[in-house]
Amino acid sequence: MNAILQIRDLHTQFDTLDGVVRAVDGVSFDVARGETLGIVGESGCGKSVTALSILRLIPPETGRIAQGSIRFEGTELTVLSEEEMKRLRGHRISMIFQEPMTSLNPVLTIGTQIAENVVRHLRVSWKAGRDRAREMLDLVRIADAARRLDEYPHQLSGGMRQRVMIAMALSCAPQVLIADEPTTALDVTIQAQILDLMLELKEKTGTAIVLITHDLGVVAETTERVVVMYAGRKVEEAPVEALFDDPLHPYTRGLMQAIPRLDVDADANGERPRLQEIPGLVPLLTRPIVGCAFAARCSLATDHCRSAAPPFVDAGAGHGVACWETGA
Amino acid sequence: MVVTAYIVRRLFATLPVMAVVALFVFFLLRLAPGDPAAIIAGEDATNEAIEAVRARLGLDRPIVEQFAVWLWALLQGDMGVSIFSNLPVTRLIAQRLEPTLALTLSTLFIAVALAIPIGVVAAWKARKLADRLVMGFAVLGFAMPVFVLAYVLIYFFAVQWQLLPVQGYSPIAEGFWPFVESLILPSIALGITYMALIARITRASMLEVLQQDYIRTANAKGLATDRVLLLHALKNASVPIVTVIGIGIALLISGVVITETVFNIPGLGRLTVDAVLKRDYPIVQGLILVFAAAKVIVNLIIDISYAFLDPRIRY
Amino acid sequence: MAASSAVLADDLAPPSRRFSLPTAIRRNPTIALGGALLAALIVMAIFAPLIATNDPFKIAPVNRLRPPSERWWFGTDQFGRDVFSRTVYGARVSLIVGLSVAAFSSLLGLALGLACGYFKRIDSIVMRVMDGLMAIPSILLAIALITLTRPGLGIVIVAIVIPEVPRIVRVVRAVVLSIRAQPYIESAIAGGTKNIKLLARHVLPNTLAPLIVQSTYVCASAMLIEAGLSFLGAGVPPEVPSWGNIIAQGRSFFQIAPWTILIPGAFLAVTVLAVNLLGDGLRDRLDPRLARRL
Repeated sequence: MNAILQIRDLHTQFDTLDGVVRAVDGVSFDVARGETLGIVGESGCGKSVTALSILRLIPPETGRIAQGSIRFEGTELTVLSEEEMKRLRGHRISMIFQEPMTSLNPVLTIGTQIAENVVRHLRVSWKAGRDRAREMLDLVRIADAARRLDEYPHQLSGGMRQRVMIAMALSCAPQVLIADEPTTALDVTIQAQILDLMLELKEKTGTAIVLITHDLGVVAETTERVVVMYAGRKVEEAPVEALFDDPLHPYTRGLMQAIPRLDVDADANGERPRLQEIPGLVPLLTRPIVGCAFAARCSLATDHCRSAAPPFVDAGAGHGVACWETGA
Repeated sequence: MVVTAYIVRRLFATLPVMAVVALFVFFLLRLAPGDPAAIIAGEDATNEAIEAVRARLGLDRPIVEQFAVWLWALLQGDMGVSIFSNLPVTRLIAQRLEPTLALTLSTLFIAVALAIPIGVVAAWKARKLADRLVMGFAVLGFAMPVFVLAYVLIYFFAVQWQLLPVQGYSPIAEGFWPFVESLILPSIALGITYMALIARITRASMLEVLQQDYIRTANAKGLATDRVLLLHALKNASVPIVTVIGIGIALLISGVVITETVFNIPGLGRLTVDAVLKRDYPIVQGLILVFAAAKVIVNLIIDISYAFLDPRIRY
Repeated sequence: MAASSAVLADDLAPPSRRFSLPTAIRRNPTIALGGALLAALIVMAIFAPLIATNDPFKIAPVNRLRPPSERWWFGTDQFGRDVFSRTVYGARVSLIVGLSVAAFSSLLGLALGLACGYFKRIDSIVMRVMDGLMAIPSILLAIALITLTRPGLGIVIVAIVIPEVPRIVRVVRAVVLSIRAQPYIESAIAGGTKNIKLLARHVLPNTLAPLIVQSTYVCASAMLIEAGLSFLGAGVPPEVPSWGNIIAQGRSFFQIAPWTILIPGAFLAVTVLAVNLLGDGLRDRLDPRLARRL
């Protein structure tokens, strides 16, 4: 694989009043040049923390990358200085966040916020920066771009703000765009527009996208490959069709079964089958988890599962899973 | 233009406040139990003297007429005449204006120029040593009474080490450096409380702003630290800071009265104390009006600055 | 469901609820420090006659301007009076003024604030007056009021209450308005709850925390204003030992006898500090959201 980003055995931890939280507990995956990789999992599974770890945006007072390697185009990111990381952020690797309402600075104009990124990283004049900002606004299909440059975020709608975020993130033509739940806070119709926009831009610019989401529908529509995370660990990885056709990990299967379906007919009594749920709760991340993290909720679990963490094995055709029962 | 409309509206809002102040100042004398004329004339005045005062100040006319006369004169710049010196109040005030203005402005400037950076650094290095030092200073500084601090400063800098003058004011016309030297200790004494307040609010406001998502975005763009702190963060934190600067002006004005007394600076503060103790009411009235007007104008400027600091406040 | 070594979220027991003083002190260091200092000062003020080593009023010119020594712990002033004893008695004035002003302005402010929050017409008039009062610097207002009549402790208290009340009225009014805007109040009114009951059960309890915090700041401010007034000669009569008085009288001889000013000054600073610490600690404890405003 032509990997632009290689993450190996990443461990990210936080200090809390209740102890050390192992938010990311040994995660490894690659991102190929120009591909769209989805990272999916429920709230708290560590997907956002993984993204923040790549850019080393974990606040140093509370957390740290305890262990692991993150290689970007061959360069090891975990040993770079803060100054060197700043040169990468917004320039070679960009990130956009979930809440467009609050992610833009309310007292600076749109134009300033996009232009400053360009001026900072590409070392051009402010005029050139503003021109580029206008180009980017056109690219993300915001009408009347010249006027918008001098407007403030509160004058724009949520969908438009997210477009501005995308414009800002792509303004220096990064190799990787990390999108952390970019459409979760938007309503469904806007969601579709934003995702389409992102894919279209990806085609144009060749940027790889790491799309983090909890929504399997978004995964199905937008991504090429998927990584499934649970309790800070990677439990399955596959090309998107393979994941949906043949989910191997019991957690993934549970997720698929839990999707409410409209195409199921009522039976003779006029009743529809119950929604399937995954019984139990997510484990606490303050104690080291012995054995498989999902064992407590898994119908296939054996004593072996509870005592030894299953290794991640390749089941062929780019499909891998970490499960004693289904992966061997 | 939305901003102009906002400014005009804020201007009009000051009128009711000044009206209340004017009413209060006018009724000040008449609030006292007893006969205003007798109070002004003094404790040992004869009946004739009291009547003379009454006639001279027009205290025998109906109250509404008195108020109208007084207000009209005021709007024409006539604040009456001092009882003791027979000089126009406006002239007395104008004579004493320079020292007070110099002191207030220098204190304001020093306090703001030092306190805001201190507060920013404290928020940036939250919970580390720099922060704890700043917070300690803020708590102590705010509790320190102005005159105590003034005497401590005088004791060390003027008496023991003889670096600066013990008291007195040197007008700027008589030389720039003596002017500056005479202002250093008073400005520090007056300004410490103010600085403590501003530093504290700056820190608190910055801390809150630094938690916001848009700061995370700024960091994710790899912007330089000073740009993130000073432009992205501070601009957002500025509204409460500027508010407190305005509120603190009241502290400053109260403190000026005391500071001028301690340092023997012949300004409006000293004039106030002398006038009040001698019960020279026309001067007291004039001074209260002047101080209140100053405070109102400062607050107006602050209100207007909001429109420039935060584009959401244009209403 | 089989047992597992992974700890599930609902396994943790609720924390213990017994009150323990050492923990309370550790968790609220500012309240503890401020409260302890203030308590010590109050004790000193109450037991002043027992603590003072000499008669604070006794004039003995032969002993004038002595430096601190065994007999006069803080030295003497220009009349030969013992500075230590005068300082100890001075605590009484500051504390009485501070606490009374805080109490009266809180009561008055609470009443006015509630009235403003409930009655629109009262609100417009009272708030204009409050704005006007706040436009006048407090020391000037206090001095002006005091000189209207004969000076005395009571007058000083009244004269300081008046400039401090607007602050409390503002805070109380803000709380009342925000509570009344809550949906649950609307439904209570729709359900027929009487105003009095609403007031007692919903509005008043919510005003208490901000009120207490503001009143500590008013107390500190009042002590500073009283000291300033006495310093300027417009406060309590000069024979009564007040820290402001003592400092004022020490002015002429400051360069040769700095202790007459620095010592009472230090006491004043520490007292104000104690009250401020108490206020800050209470504010952080009672309502973390308040920490954002002044």
